[in-house]
Amino acid sequence: MSRRPTGIELLLGVLSDAKVTFILIGGVAARAHGSARITDDIDICYARNIENLDRLVRTLAPLKPYLRGAPPGLPFEWSVPTLKAGLNFTLTTTAGAIDLLGEITGGGRYEDLAPHSIEVMVFGRETLLLDLPWLIHVKRAAGRPKDLEVIAELEALLEEREKFEE
Amino acid sequence: MTSKDLLREARRRAGLSQGELALSAGMSQSAVARLESGKANPTLATLERLVGAAGFELRLELVPKFSYDQLIDAYKRDVDRTLLRENLRKSVDDRLRSLAEHQAFGEELQRAVRARRKPKS
Repeated sequence: MSRRPTGIELLLGVLSDAKVTFILIGGVAARAHGSARITDDIDICYARNIENLDRLVRTLAPLKPYLRGAPPGLPFEWSVPTLKAGLNFTLTTTAGAIDLLGEITGGGRYEDLAPHSIEVMVFGRETLLLDLPWLIHVKRAAGRPKDLEVIAELEALLEEREKFEE
Repeated sequence: MTSKDLLREARRRAGLSQGELALSAGMSQSAVARLESGKANPTLATLERLVGAAGFELRLELVPKFSYDQLIDAYKRDVDRTLLRENLRKSVDDRLRSLAEHQAFGEELQRAVRARRKPKS
C-alpha cells in the first residue's frame, strides 16, 4: 500500500505538481542541505507574476490557508487580490505551516534569488532550492541576533560539505 | 546593570538599611534613597564610596565589544559537526523525511503534555 504524504512532503508536492514557481528557502532548505536543526514551517519565495499567484491560490485553497496567529473568525479571503495586495504571508494550512515570501531581506525577490538556486530532486520532483552560500548570505544580510546560531551551523555545514566532497 | 541596581544589590548583600549605609558612607538617608530610586545619578566617586561602605570594591574594566563575526565564530565552535557529517551522507529526501519525523514526534510530545495538564474530572 502506498504511503499518503503529509506535512512537508504534501505541501512541496502539491506546489511542484501545480507548477507553482517558487524557491525553497529558510529552515527546510537548510535541512535539505544537511542542517541538523528542526523547523516547524516551510518558507518559500514565490514569483509574483499573475499566473503564479493564480496557481498558488488554486493549489493551496483545498488546504484551507489562514493567517497564522490570527484570531479565529478574522475575515481572510484566500484569493489572488489578497496576494497582490500583500507581499509576505505567514500561513497555517491543514498540511502544516507555510510562509509565502514575495521578498526577503538581503535577498530580494524570486528573480534575484533564482540565479543563486540549485535544482534538486525532492520527493521525486525537481525543486529549486536556495544554494547554501546564498542561504548564509541572506541570513547574514538580515542581521538578526536570532540567526547567529543558524549562521554558525550553516557555515560549519559548508566547511564540512567541502571536506566531504574532496 | 544600572548604578541604582548595583547600589541596591550591594546594600542587600551587606544586609544594611538605607540609613545604615548612608551613615557608614557619610551621606544622608534621603540621598541614598534618591540614588536607589534612580531619581538621581551618582558620580563614579560617589558610587565607589557607597559600594565601599557596603564592604565591596568597585571594579570597572574595558573589554572588547564582540562583533557579529566574532559571535558567529563563537557559536560555530559549539556546532555538533558529527550530526552534519551524518546528514551529508543522506539523500535530500531522507534529510527532509527525518525532519518530518522530528516534527511529528514534537507534535506527539506536545499532545502528551497537553493531555497531562488537563485536570482530573
